[in-house]
Amino acid sequence: MPEVEYMTTMKLPPEQVWEFVRDMNNWAPFLTGYQRHEIENETDSIWTLKGDVGVLSRTVRLKAHVTEWNGPERVAFTLVGIDEVVEGGGMLTIAKPSPADAPIAAPPKRGLWRRMVDGFFRWLFRRMNGPGVKRLEPARAEAASQLTFKLRMDAGGPSGPLVNAMLAPALMPAAEDLANKIAAHLEQLHGVAAR
Amino acid sequence: MWGRKQKPQIETDVLVIGSGGAGLVAALAAHQAGAKVTLVEKAAKAGGTTAVSGGVLWIPNNHHMGKAGIADSRAEALQYVKRLADGRSDEKLIETFLDEAPQMLKFVEEVTPVRFQALPKYPDYHPEFAGAKPGGRSLDPGLFDTKQLGAWKDKLRRSPVFGMTAMSVSEATEWGVFSKPLKLPFKLLGQRFSEGLVCYGGALVGGLLKGLLDRGIEPLLQTAARDLVVEDGRVVGLKAVQNGKEILISAKRGVILASGGFEWSKTLTAQFLGGIVTHPNSPPGNDGDGLKMAMALGADLANMSEAWWCPSIDIPGEEYDGQQLHRGDFAIRSLPHSLIVNRRGNRFVNEAQNYNDLMKPFFHVDPVAYERPNLPAWVILDQQFVEHYALLTIVPGMPVPEWIPRAQTIGELAEKIGVDSKGLTATVERFNGFAKSGVDSEFGRGASLYDHFYGDLDQKPNPNLGTVEKAPFYALQVHPGAIGTKGGARVDSRARVLHVNGAPIAGLYAAGNVMAGITGPGYPGAGSTIGTAMTFGYIAGRDAAKS
Repeated sequence: MPEVEYMTTMKLPPEQVWEFVRDMNNWAPFLTGYQRHEIENETDSIWTLKGDVGVLSRTVRLKAHVTEWNGPERVAFTLVGIDEVVEGGGMLTIAKPSPADAPIAAPPKRGLWRRMVDGFFRWLFRRMNGPGVKRLEPARAEAASQLTFKLRMDAGGPSGPLVNAMLAPALMPAAEDLANKIAAHLEQLHGVAAR
Repeated sequence: MWGRKQKPQIETDVLVIGSGGAGLVAALAAHQAGAKVTLVEKAAKAGGTTAVSGGVLWIPNNHHMGKAGIADSRAEALQYVKRLADGRSDEKLIETFLDEAPQMLKFVEEVTPVRFQALPKYPDYHPEFAGAKPGGRSLDPGLFDTKQLGAWKDKLRRSPVFGMTAMSVSEATEWGVFSKPLKLPFKLLGQRFSEGLVCYGGALVGGLLKGLLDRGIEPLLQTAARDLVVEDGRVVGLKAVQNGKEILISAKRGVILASGGFEWSKTLTAQFLGGIVTHPNSPPGNDGDGLKMAMALGADLANMSEAWWCPSIDIPGEEYDGQQLHRGDFAIRSLPHSLIVNRRGNRFVNEAQNYNDLMKPFFHVDPVAYERPNLPAWVILDQQFVEHYALLTIVPGMPVPEWIPRAQTIGELAEKIGVDSKGLTATVERFNGFAKSGVDSEFGRGASLYDHFYGDLDQKPNPNLGTVEKAPFYALQVHPGAIGTKGGARVDSRARVLHVNGAPIAGLYAAGNVMAGITGPGYPGAGSTIGTAMTFGYIAGRDAAKS
């Protein structure tokens, strides 16, 4: 099952970030390919997204269900495709950043081909969704919170292995996009963008 | 003409406009013959219409047929193509194609990594006609590893339909891509996708592009041809736009138009086509720019009322290059448990025949009512279909997308889609009788070997017929589409563009869909488009280099 995790930091304290993240209506429009969302009740909504599968752009509808609402730390949700056999979920986690002297986990090593594939899909992502958000993360010593977005999607049905191969490279750009859009929005709102 | 103060930014011998099969082979042939070559492509990716196609070449009397144990001859092929051309093309050009195509095939295999394989089970599109063959003339380019292209791998155009999976045409045939979708090795296909393997048109263009790059020729992408430059009656270069700036390219020996058809131009299709191509299957850049440049120099035109017709089906919201994608339908209409009807609920065509000829009755005009009675048209399916066969992007066991209209009865479905309810109910009842007997006494569906290729060979007594009787029933609108247009600039047997006065326009060549097709209204077999395009590209490149 393709799964990715992306983390960014902000100068804002976790409580301020939570105030925004706690309400899905606030950040659903920041989802990659967002078209619209309809609230069904307090925990359920339907997202309509225009997503990329390979070189194609498809409009998909996903039923989102909030499974965990644990302020000011995290909100977790599941996703189930309405027209497509796909399911997954995500979790936005807010925490105080690791101490400045804590070792930074090295990114997993990727082979040349993997890096080329990821590079291609980042390019494709930018081409189909625009250049994305340009922001500078605050210096480590200035960061007051870190926002982590974990995203997983799994295509089911007999063709699942093939669709997952196409989906996998698109997930990390989508995770980066959401986390950075939330961060950029909050930084602008509170006037704390890194310079 | 060049202005007094204008100096070309690029000086070359042979300039090729377009990076599809015709353009790439023209560039290879010109370079092989000793010319300095420049190739421009207006899109951000190389590959043109060829890259989104099946990548198959139709080459009669090719050297791979012998390996497959299939005999062929020039005379048989000529007899067959002449019948399909219906007297509407220059017979000399048909002969030129038949003579040169096998040589072109060998040339491509010599100078590129593409290796073809005959498809012994892929019949000509009218296999019962004299001179036709039950297989072997259509050639599969196999798979291509895009890693071979280095940095150019991201600049290779990918097909929105065929590019999603990496299976060769031979494999697709053996595996039953449409009729036995659950038997497809999806894990293997996922691995191949992740490894960067491509198939069909992507494989063909990938291999041709690799051959060109190996010669140090890099296509100039996002370079749009605007006007041909003429000096003393000879085409000597091009004005093009690159990154928003006009550039001049001089071409001492010739300019080869390989810029594709005009199916995306509303103006040109309205002016010239007998039918209405509302849903073309090609990349949206095919708007006839090359054709207009030739017309501006007085080029003679031919076959302008024809296209490589193909029925199209849309999945709402599915886009390619920023436009709604129109998927060519090759199998839904050919497999059992489906039929096509018009708004009166009547069948009007053998649904399983080749996609080019299938489309012709769609454009039929009732001269009394002055309307097209067969538009809009719908393909009607039942639950048996979705339980057995691939339907667009779903395979059996997956839910049918909500956007597809459905109903528990045929009458109710007809009302939902605006089709005459009584007419459709009666048609389905009659069709079910044909399905049970195995004989379609109205349109002969399943009588031809060609029909069987896209049918279900396990379906008895007829691979193309099955009842439509199990609810729910579904409907998909079938739109008039085309792989490309088939009319364009007339050429001679050296691929030189002819002026309306009959003489060649010095320095100007054409190949591919910008050139007047040599088969009139007919489509001899799978790969006729690309086979012809690459052959005349080969002729043009070689001739221009020597001029």
